[in-house]
Amino acid sequence: MSVLKKTFHINKKDFIHAGEASIKIKNLLKSLNTDPKLIRRVAVCGYEGEMNVVMHGGEGFLNIQINTGKILLNISDDGPGIEDIERAMEKGFSTALDKYREMGFGAGMGLPNMKENSDHFTIESEKNRGTRVGMVFFR
Amino acid sequence: MKQHSSYVYFDEAVCTGCAFSVKACPTRAIRVRNGRPLIMDGKCIGCGECIRVCPTGAMKAVTSGSEPLQKDRISVALVSPVLYSQFFGVPPGDVLQALRQMGFCHAVDMSYFLEMFQCAAEEFIVRNRKDEKFPWPLISPVCPVVVRLIALQFPSLLSHILPIMRPVALMAREVNRQLIRKYGKEESVTLYYINPCPTRMDADRIAFHHERPYIDKTLGINEVYADLTRELKKIRKPAKPDMLDYGPTENSLIWGLSGGEILDMHLDRTLAVSGLKETIAYLEKIEMGLFQDIEYIEFRTCPEGCVGGTLIAIDKYLAKNTIKKASRKCGFKRRVSADNIHRLYEKGWFSAKSSLAKTACLFSIQEEPLSIEELMEIDNILERIHGMDCSACGAPDCRTFAEDVVRGEASLDDCVVLRARGKSAEKI
Repeated sequence: MSVLKKTFHINKKDFIHAGEASIKIKNLLKSLNTDPKLIRRVAVCGYEGEMNVVMHGGEGFLNIQINTGKILLNISDDGPGIEDIERAMEKGFSTALDKYREMGFGAGMGLPNMKENSDHFTIESEKNRGTRVGMVFFR
Repeated sequence: MKQHSSYVYFDEAVCTGCAFSVKACPTRAIRVRNGRPLIMDGKCIGCGECIRVCPTGAMKAVTSGSEPLQKDRISVALVSPVLYSQFFGVPPGDVLQALRQMGFCHAVDMSYFLEMFQCAAEEFIVRNRKDEKFPWPLISPVCPVVVRLIALQFPSLLSHILPIMRPVALMAREVNRQLIRKYGKEESVTLYYINPCPTRMDADRIAFHHERPYIDKTLGINEVYADLTRELKKIRKPAKPDMLDYGPTENSLIWGLSGGEILDMHLDRTLAVSGLKETIAYLEKIEMGLFQDIEYIEFRTCPEGCVGGTLIAIDKYLAKNTIKKASRKCGFKRRVSADNIHRLYEKGWFSAKSSLAKTACLFSIQEEPLSIEELMEIDNILERIHGMDCSACGAPDCRTFAEDVVRGEASLDDCVVLRARGKSAEKI
């Protein structure tokens, strides 16, 4: 079975281009005639993931694999990592700097949103070892 | 692929086969094949961007501008208030009178229906705060290009479109009723929409097509401008009374500007966005879950709003100035009574007749979806071309070209980069 793989680089602190990888993924899914509701869920997760890397992580990658049955979305970065993953998963908990909150980001909904919108969600992180988020969507 | 879509057409005698419009088209609906321009009708949303960028004027809007008014028919002009912005310091009533002098039996002003729409939209939004049946942010249905853009490229946002009949549809319905009452259903009436842009049909207007016995046609504002200016110089007063007089007001002029629709709405969390690129960027963001704290977004794909339309006669900044002056003079008072609107709203008077599914199939083509293998093939071709979106092949960019090749609509030989590189595989 063929698998379409794509990797997108996420630049450090690059707010201007954050979200572009998710737009490209949306367009891929649209040409595959994917259900609009599913496209929306993947787009929300991709965007939240990209913003997380831009705000908290360092360099990062967004990786997507699509086959006929499912979509795998992996987002990883080499940033400072998350100390307390359980707290990070709470709605409204945020460690975003004030300057990002002033820009309208950092409401503490990123990870919970990603979990809610994906069919399967995993997160791995360790202090100073970066963060890896994996999501699965069934088509 | 044809030489025309429902909204625009190529004048092949003037077209040089350049790629300006090919590249400008937001839905990538235009190709140049063998020096001839072609449009995929189903993909054209009528935004008029091609008309704007064409350096030779080969791209034209589909209107009935060249035909003279038929003397033996009853011609009715349906007027968008954008028309008034073209004449500095001239009251709307005079513009309508000048239209009548030009040969229209009736000239109907739209502003009354704009106010009705505004009230109904407010009512809907206030109710939606309680039951949250529709997702935030709601999107204005007024600009038909936006509705078509969503149907074609952002189908997941169809449920965000405010399900209230558009002002032009409210007007068309009412005017038709009155005309039937006066003239009967005989085929002697022609309705002319005087428009700032090449947008003719929308789901609502089509949805009640069977109720309307009359032919309707479109005229660009630029097509009536010269005649109107002449008539305005010899305006006859007092104006001939018109049974379809809804009392035009100067404050309706503000609708021609971006932000005019929401300016007088009693809502705080609203946005006005204008310009095609900006509209697309916002729709992308809404699709990714942003702006859920905004209740209503007014989109206009033309820069500065409808005054920036492609069928406008005078420059948009001059028109903007006219609007600002007129609105300062008269303020913003509504004529429609809130109680009346409330009563009509309860009766379902404003509910859009077109369902989401109908809009989707009217305005979005069912393009054959690609398979995963085909997408991988596209990536392979892109890697081989390694080009810079030169458009010499007649497609807007390398990716679209690769997609055309995979779909069997173009040949790899059309790529000049591949041809120049030949077998040596050198990079250019």
